[in-house]
Amino acid sequence: MAARAPGERGVSRALAVAAVLGALALVRLATAVPAVLQAALVGVALAALAIAMGWRWAASAAAVVLLVAYAAALCIEDRRLAVEPALAFGLTLVLLLGAVDLIARTRGAHLVGPVVAATLGRWLALVGGTVAAALVALALAGGLAVALPSTVAPLLAAAGALAGIWVLAALIRRAGAGGGSAR
Amino acid sequence: MTGRVTPLALSVLTVAAWALALAVLLARAELLLVALPAVVALGALPRRAAPPACTVLHRVSADRLFEGDAVTVTVSVQARAAVPLVELLGPRPAGAQVRAGRHRAVMTLRAGQAVEWRYDLVFPRRGVHDVGAVAVRLRDRLGLRAWEWRQLAPLTLRVFPRPMALRTLPRPAHARASGGDHLSRVLGEGIEPGDVREFAPGDRIRHVNWRASLRLGRLYVTQRHRERNADVVLMLDTLAEVGAPPETTLDLGVRAAVSLATAYLGRRDRVGLVTYGGVMTWVRPGSGAVQYERLADGLLRAEVVFTYVAKDLARVPARVLSPQALVIAITPLLDPRFAGAVADLAARGFDVVVLLVSPVAVTRALVDGGSVEALATRLWALERRADLAALQRQGVAVIDWQPPEPLEAALARARWRRVRLASAG
Repeated sequence: MAARAPGERGVSRALAVAAVLGALALVRLATAVPAVLQAALVGVALAALAIAMGWRWAASAAAVVLLVAYAAALCIEDRRLAVEPALAFGLTLVLLLGAVDLIARTRGAHLVGPVVAATLGRWLALVGGTVAAALVALALAGGLAVALPSTVAPLLAAAGALAGIWVLAALIRRAGAGGGSAR
Repeated sequence: MTGRVTPLALSVLTVAAWALALAVLLARAELLLVALPAVVALGALPRRAAPPACTVLHRVSADRLFEGDAVTVTVSVQARAAVPLVELLGPRPAGAQVRAGRHRAVMTLRAGQAVEWRYDLVFPRRGVHDVGAVAVRLRDRLGLRAWEWRQLAPLTLRVFPRPMALRTLPRPAHARASGGDHLSRVLGEGIEPGDVREFAPGDRIRHVNWRASLRLGRLYVTQRHRERNADVVLMLDTLAEVGAPPETTLDLGVRAAVSLATAYLGRRDRVGLVTYGGVMTWVRPGSGAVQYERLADGLLRAEVVFTYVAKDLARVPARVLSPQALVIAITPLLDPRFAGAVADLAARGFDVVVLLVSPVAVTRALVDGGSVEALATRLWALERRADLAALQRQGVAVIDWQPPEPLEAALARARWRRVRLASAG
């Protein structure tokens, strides 16, 4: 079976670039403060390095830098809650990580079957799950916001965030009970 | 099979943790939504998914080849269920080069789909290589979890040194009683004419020399030299080597040894082998195709093993290193212990020929052509010339081989003292 390497790899690179540009655009929509945009550009540079070299650590760093820039933009502008841009920003970050991982996996490899298309299709399917989860979360948040007293809300939020991170870490630890981590 | 979390899962967890922490610290609900896709992706992890089932088999097109030849590795994958992503790392032993295709593959397979993937490996250097392992890594739908194992098969590749065609060979001084291609001093059945004498009762008519008989008016017969075989022992120096694989002095020496073995076996001689180094091994002299296999097997495993100990050739059994044998010592003469062993053999009356694989020529090919390097190599060459002269004074014939010149040219340059064999019968 013939390898379809160049086209498939081009698709994964294009998707990674689109994710980075989407994240940059969302930061720009959130604010026009030059310092924040410069920080976002640092993230874009890291992402470019990750896409060019297939380095996962650079992709993770780029995602975190873009996330910090986005958070700074939200704080500076202090606008009302906008659900769609925030969800889109989260999806672009996850898509960037997935695309760079795929670039690293397929680098120098013989590809059989629609490897890139199938993998990216599965990541795009995540969009549906995310939207559904967002709807549920928003409905729950609406109910809780009325019921909770405002004095304990920050403490509950902090505890909830800590618990969330702990649960996710525990999930990963359990899933990786075999020891070590794959390449 | 080992199940593991991939680095991608850790990256996604990092992003989710940063977003959740920033959401709480900055009191921005949007950042909780930013974390949501990562949380949803990681939420799929606790599902106890069985690893996707697939069968991996591999084979190689040949298990014996010569240096420089290519072998095709074929890996077959049969998916019993849908496989989101499988990564395969085919065997590529150290020193082998991928000539066609790639030795790593990434596949997405439907349930029941069978796929074959091939690549060609070239082995520039002799050796025994294990090509029996394919590393398999299966990943789940989002690539957050992986299962790994090694598909093992008892596949071994033996890469033999490629023999060079040789017409000129060092002549043995002593012969054995068995028939061969070397002319004996003793007259008897053979092809090469030796002497003419008067006809005697019992002589065969086909031996009558009609020209001499007609000229002299009486019957004369042509006597012929017997053709005998000889014992040849190749003694390979594995004490030290210089150069870069696959063109080290040892590699060149091994190629010379296999070429000499092929040529002598082709002349029905018995050929043996002694590797003289940190580990001393030997192969008893023998003849025929099976003996070639034994010699080639011994030669393709020849490696330099460092030692401080000077090995004593007296340890080699007499049936391997018999006094009647022609000993061809193949060496770069880098270690004086080998020169000592050769001198010892010559002093004990062995018929010794040294085939000197010049390390100067091999090293010169690796270093820059600067004036200092040129001067150093000239000095080295002069020292070696003095060493050779010392060996020749001890009665040892020396063939100086300067790679990359053909071995045949070096052999043809040498002058052989012996024309007829001192025969054993």
